[in-house]
Amino acid sequence: MRHLVAQAQSGGIGAVRAASRLISLLEDDPTILPELFGGMGKWPEPRMIVGVTGAPGVGKSSLVDSLLVAWRKKYLTSRLGVLAVDPSSPFTGGAVLGDRVRMMQHANDENIFIRSLASRGHLGGLTLGIKGAVRVMGLVGCDIVLIETVGVGQSEVEVAGVADMTLIALAPGGGDGIQMLKAGLMEAGDIFVVNKADREGADKLLAELSATLALIGRSHAPTELTAVAPDEMTLSQRAAMRRRKSKPFIFKASAHAGIGIDELVEGLEGWSRVNAEEIRARRDEAIRDEVRKAILESARRKVDNVLGHNGHFSEKVENVLAGRIGVSALAEQLMRTATQQ
Amino acid sequence: MPKARVLIGKPGLDGHDRGAKYVTHLLRDAGYEVIYTGIRRSPEQIVNAAVQEDVAAIGLSLLSGAHNVLFKKVIDLLKEKGAEDIIVFGGGTIPEKDIAGLKAMGIKAVFTPGTSAETILKTLETLINERQDKLATA
Repeated sequence: MRHLVAQAQSGGIGAVRAASRLISLLEDDPTILPELFGGMGKWPEPRMIVGVTGAPGVGKSSLVDSLLVAWRKKYLTSRLGVLAVDPSSPFTGGAVLGDRVRMMQHANDENIFIRSLASRGHLGGLTLGIKGAVRVMGLVGCDIVLIETVGVGQSEVEVAGVADMTLIALAPGGGDGIQMLKAGLMEAGDIFVVNKADREGADKLLAELSATLALIGRSHAPTELTAVAPDEMTLSQRAAMRRRKSKPFIFKASAHAGIGIDELVEGLEGWSRVNAEEIRARRDEAIRDEVRKAILESARRKVDNVLGHNGHFSEKVENVLAGRIGVSALAEQLMRTATQQ
Repeated sequence: MPKARVLIGKPGLDGHDRGAKYVTHLLRDAGYEVIYTGIRRSPEQIVNAAVQEDVAAIGLSLLSGAHNVLFKKVIDLLKEKGAEDIIVFGGGTIPEKDIAGLKAMGIKAVFTPGTSAETILKTLETLINERQDKLATA
């Protein structure tokens, strides 16, 4: 795996292929990500990580395609990355990954790296290997990374925890204000885009969107989350608080007609600048969280190994149930044994 | 875990995509992750996409008669990019007499109209397993 890392970082001709290979390994077994932690501190990171979510058919892929065109015009030589997730069949395990088909105009741009991923049964809109994939995108030199999720629409906002900012795409024909009220999406979005602005109903949708966001308190006086004291909040809770206080950016666009895309790009970059500190803090917390989890998992495995199976394990269960040894004491014993091995 | 990743593309100006879509769904139902790249692609676009997507195989569908030229272009581009380990298979209205030539240039299988789903799946499975073994011992 190390040689793939070196190749991906090299900037040479096989770099993108090596990066894609690395992503495949992380998809197949996300638990190997910790093996890459050593030295990951020095990996380049993307400047912007944008999550793109929304119901199926609203035009996420087309929007991503338009954003790529606009960003390429703006930054002639930057590397841009797209991670596009589509659902795996719950029956066969297979998948049709059909996001890239909307972005084929970029296939000959060697600095636009599009990688399709299947959800592989994971709920939430993403896939288990996504965090590793984002890091690899940074490793291979992507300045901006777009993560396009499985469009499930109402409550799958996992991307909000992986990206720096979350763009929620909507389109006319998807239901009314009440429908919007239901959605967890309304709380998780930083930027809202009414796509297909050239279609009938777009302005009405825009008005309803603004009204709904105001109704849930996102446009004016903040509602405090009183259950947790401010000092004890996790970063995600603080981010949720900030979101509730912040007025989200709303845009109207049409990917197909090419309307509103430049404004959207400016909006995304502007949001990124204004929230730079928060983004940095969130990224730092995320990696600390991952390292912690990896350490605990490693310890868990070591203890699990000495816990044993069948006969030996049954004996231990017996001892615990008979009151001969407490669970805590047993755990300590096992940890000592594990470290002696 | 799913089976391998396969890219399906239609090079050239041919827009008859029913066969490509059929094979896409066939493979999906057999557990593969299929990247469908649509119609009217250049060999460059198909190969670049295949490299970015880390696929085990590329399926080229062509009904316009340009298979000898376009399939060769794909093979040559894969070599150029150091990706000749990727399996290339083809389908479409390809005359029997051309199949030997295609295989000689590196196309591992050709599925002409009437080929059974079972044949397609079995052939691909064998080819992909062979490639896996080769890569593992490399």
